[in-house]
Amino acid sequence: MRCDLPDVADGERPRSEHSIVFDPQRCVGCVDCCKACPTAAIRVRAGCAVADPDLCIDCGECIRWCRHGAMHAATATSADLKRFKYTVALPTLTLYSQFGRDVEPGQVLQALRSLGFDDVYDLSAMCDMHASATDAYLSECRGPWPKVSVTCPAIIHLIQLRYPDMIDNLLPIETARELAAKLLRRRLVAEKGLAPGDIGIFFITPCSAMLQSIHHPEALEASYLDGAFSIAEVYGPLLKAIKANGPVENPPPISERGLLWAMAGGEIAGMRNANTITVAGVRDVLRVFDHIEEGKLQAVDFIEAYICPDGCISGQLTVENRYAARRTVQHIVRRHGRQAGEGAVVPEEKVRAMLREHFFDLEEHLKARPVRPLGRNLRESVARKREVERVMADLPAKDCAACGAPSCAAHAEDVVRGLAALEDCVFVRLERLQEAMASTKEPVHD
Amino acid sequence: MLYAETFQIRGGDFEHGGEVATRIKSICKDLGIRPDLIRRLSIANFEAEMNVIMHADEADLSFQVLPEAVRVVVADRGRGIPDIELAMTPGWSTATPEMRARGFGAGLGLPNIKNSADEFRLESTPGVGTTLTYAVRLA
Repeated sequence: MRCDLPDVADGERPRSEHSIVFDPQRCVGCVDCCKACPTAAIRVRAGCAVADPDLCIDCGECIRWCRHGAMHAATATSADLKRFKYTVALPTLTLYSQFGRDVEPGQVLQALRSLGFDDVYDLSAMCDMHASATDAYLSECRGPWPKVSVTCPAIIHLIQLRYPDMIDNLLPIETARELAAKLLRRRLVAEKGLAPGDIGIFFITPCSAMLQSIHHPEALEASYLDGAFSIAEVYGPLLKAIKANGPVENPPPISERGLLWAMAGGEIAGMRNANTITVAGVRDVLRVFDHIEEGKLQAVDFIEAYICPDGCISGQLTVENRYAARRTVQHIVRRHGRQAGEGAVVPEEKVRAMLREHFFDLEEHLKARPVRPLGRNLRESVARKREVERVMADLPAKDCAACGAPSCAAHAEDVVRGLAALEDCVFVRLERLQEAMASTKEPVHD
Repeated sequence: MLYAETFQIRGGDFEHGGEVATRIKSICKDLGIRPDLIRRLSIANFEAEMNVIMHADEADLSFQVLPEAVRVVVADRGRGIPDIELAMTPGWSTATPEMRARGFGAGLGLPNIKNSADEFRLESTPGVGTTLTYAVRLA
């Protein structure tokens, strides 16, 4: 097959188990990523950022904030496509928002096909069904409340790590992208007589977290997707193809209710249940989850949560700025004339039946992966906690991150865990130096 | 006692309501206390903290880690509770309309704390203040 997709240089391999690759050649040792990381996973050691694989949630905030391009997502390469006889592109709905308001979703899909994929598949109908399934599930569910959407994998990872007691709040409905890939593979096997292993279904992803969910899914033994390319890396070839192809004769039907999923607020916009909340962006998500953990917000049925500040259109692997992307989505929805929430693609009764037949179920239980405590038992943890407090008293509380840790608290913990030295703090070192100079200049006499 | 820390809470300080509960939660996570126990404790802490903010002048909330349990003692200076039995009745509240408008005053605070905790004690002297003690067992 013809292939205009990017090749990645040899030798760049992801850190174990994660989708974000750090490039020591490009890292200048500033602390932007380290300060941006919501789980304090990154340290700058010997002038280079390193991430703790136990704490990384693949949210991609480091990619977003790095000014030197020192992190990137380990997406698929053209070599990955060659492993399959028949390849399909399954783009995030966000892709439709990247080319301005005059470009129709049908044009984007056609352009994607001309990039070398044998087939393309639109996700909006599955998102539409997903919204009905969520409504149906919520009407029969008994809590704990509120239920939290699993669309954003970074949210799942964050809950596993920092909010382990919220695991049962996660909505146990598989994501639209995985369900679509599952159906699509079945259909291609039946219609084209292909073996399941001959079909390669590739996601076009807005972010590193969804890439991670393909390589290391949390609620599936293996993803139904075979890999992912980022929006950013297909953008150039797509733009060219869109211009070359011109308008599309018979555009495929698009669900406007599904299309809204590209942006924060879209998931709940099409739902019947209005007892819902949208929260987006790292800081706000942490605040809302803190509240849930304190037993608040139990009167809310459903929370749509994203690590990125405006949902998937603000993913760090997108190209268009998110405000313009939002305008484009709204424009397409309006042009297609149907109001959000109106007329589901698949009748709700059918979705309800599919829900009862477990079509939407997560295949595996989501498990918590709590942060490691300070010690091996309560006594040791308490002793170390006191040590952390003692170290904190010596630190300037400026959270300057010059030591390589994102805050004085993180540095104090590193010192106690034996991962850093107190004197890595420039203020401590300066103080020591001044003391030493004072004692050599003026010996103290009583 | 393995560990103790005391936090001050000011009456009427809605702006910082919930911060003490959040800080205690973070300490518990560092200490490796089981998530379900942290959750129960946090629900109690939040209710206790908001009780002070709504009804008392000020209070010291003392968080204590014992080998077998985590204990919280909230000693406030305020009007006190004249009838403890009545205060413990679900749905009973002295909250003002303003507090209710903020979503409080459902009369479930104290019963919620009692339900979340394994031990619960409430002592009050009208005109002086109230001391609330509750604990979650670690075993």
